[in-house]
Amino acid sequence: MFDIELTRHLAELSKIEFNDEELNKMTSDMTDIINLMDKVCEFDNSKKTYALDAVDYNNLRKDNHSDSYPTEKIIENAKNVKNNSFVVPKVV
Amino acid sequence: MSLKDLRAALDSKQISAVELAQKYLDKIDTDDKKINSYITVCREGALNDAKAAQELIDSGNSGAFTGIPISVKDNICTLGVKTTCASKMLENFVPIYDATVIEKLKKDKFVMLGKTNMDEFAMGGSSQTSYFGGVKNPYDTDRVTGGSSGGAAASVAAGLCAAALGSDTGGSVRQPAAFCGVTGLKPTYGAVSRWGLIAFASSLDQIGIIANSAFDTGYVLNGIYGYDCNDATSSKKSEGGYTSLVGSDISKLKIGLPKEFFGDGIADDVKEAVLNAAEYYKSLGCQLVECSLPSLEYAVSAYYLISSAEAASNLSRFDGIKYGYRSGLGEDFNDLIKNSRREGFGDEVKRRIMLGNYALCSGYYDAYYKNATRIRTQIRQEYADIFEKCDVILTPTAPTTAYKIGQQENDPVKMYLADICTVTVNIAGLPAISTTCGYDKNNMPIGMSLIGKAFDEKTIIAVCDRFEHDFARKEADLK
Repeated sequence: MFDIELTRHLAELSKIEFNDEELNKMTSDMTDIINLMDKVCEFDNSKKTYALDAVDYNNLRKDNHSDSYPTEKIIENAKNVKNNSFVVPKVV
Repeated sequence: MSLKDLRAALDSKQISAVELAQKYLDKIDTDDKKINSYITVCREGALNDAKAAQELIDSGNSGAFTGIPISVKDNICTLGVKTTCASKMLENFVPIYDATVIEKLKKDKFVMLGKTNMDEFAMGGSSQTSYFGGVKNPYDTDRVTGGSSGGAAASVAAGLCAAALGSDTGGSVRQPAAFCGVTGLKPTYGAVSRWGLIAFASSLDQIGIIANSAFDTGYVLNGIYGYDCNDATSSKKSEGGYTSLVGSDISKLKIGLPKEFFGDGIADDVKEAVLNAAEYYKSLGCQLVECSLPSLEYAVSAYYLISSAEAASNLSRFDGIKYGYRSGLGEDFNDLIKNSRREGFGDEVKRRIMLGNYALCSGYYDAYYKNATRIRTQIRQEYADIFEKCDVILTPTAPTTAYKIGQQENDPVKMYLADICTVTVNIAGLPAISTTCGYDKNNMPIGMSLIGKAFDEKTIIAVCDRFEHDFARKEADLK
């Protein structure tokens, strides 16, 4: 059963802030969506092994050394930078 | 004009690359305000590209794409040109590198006309979730283009580019191509490098092509396919020569019709048009084979669980700190991220992230995500079984034609179910091409899809080309 507490938990995992009205709307949307997703629980999985994807990872490139992008390029799209570093609120 | 004819016109100096680019830019200026297919138009850049292309043509060293005007979906990174993913989150993001597909086309000096509109982060089937406003269908501007590559499809249908690059995670090239009456090719997973394609669901995403014909999609694929060491999922199996079978005898081919794709939920006029196309192939001598994909009933749910799980992980990089939208709210580190994501993402993107974390979180992972991946394995097996007795598979591209704007985009479940005809191709990593096979009573295009064996794009392109050769396509009339 999908309820507002589960929405709050998922919002925390998703790192998205919601106000009360948005939480209610998201709970309602997610209830309908999960009802649709419940279809996968009907699948008879007794004989099927699960596979993450179809990719053949034997084609991995060699671990070659190459130059990285210059710092000034990397920080070009950041909103708040100082001394070639990203600025964030104090953590500790 | 086909890409081959454009190439000939440029090389024979019937038109210069600059004149050609200017012609498209003028048409964009006149017509794009009616359909909103571009987010960014590269007016200056396109003319500079065209000048460089003309120099190459004058030197006698032109390549397949020299001077060819192409639009690029706005989730493909373009050096120095804004790449927004149609999101407030990336409204001002300017990539510091080119996607591999862009690098490849740039080697030939193609002309990039601009970046096309789409559903935000490619999540949607209507192109109405864009932060920059929805895209309108050139056949009827009251209707959706489909999505997520709706801008790409509309730009081709309205004659605002010669061809377009899009991306297809669950039908995002084929379905808008069907809704807008053009041709859309989703290559085999791994055939085209994803380096520089902003990730939505990495095990399903594939860059694709929208153009005026099957031949043109193969022409573009010839220029962008191939192994890329920057993409660990890129394959060495692609061989190129994607238009080499066009015009060859297809009468010995066996065409599979999976019965589940022609059941309830598919509009009658869509069903009729696709079955008429099957009869056309039969009249050429092809054998029609009834077949079955029993797990289709699980496909939409499995697709949304897998793609959303991957999206939840891929989109966790958008924190408002390194790049992208940064909120002014939040006093601590955590609040800054949560508010940036709240204000930067639209509703559908938030729903997908929430669904993805639901599928992955403790207590639900086994029942949802793990089961979805088992269904994925099963669907792959069912396709392999069909290809034991068929060369290609024919299905509708979408259950309906383009619907009116506002009719169903606000109902997520309805929107998800509308992907039923396309998602299994991504789940199985196969190539597929959509083309127009009829028109409904409102004169809206009906799309059919030809699905091929992995890395066998050249067969579906040839089979699709043959149909297009004998089908009278109606042009969109933008008033």
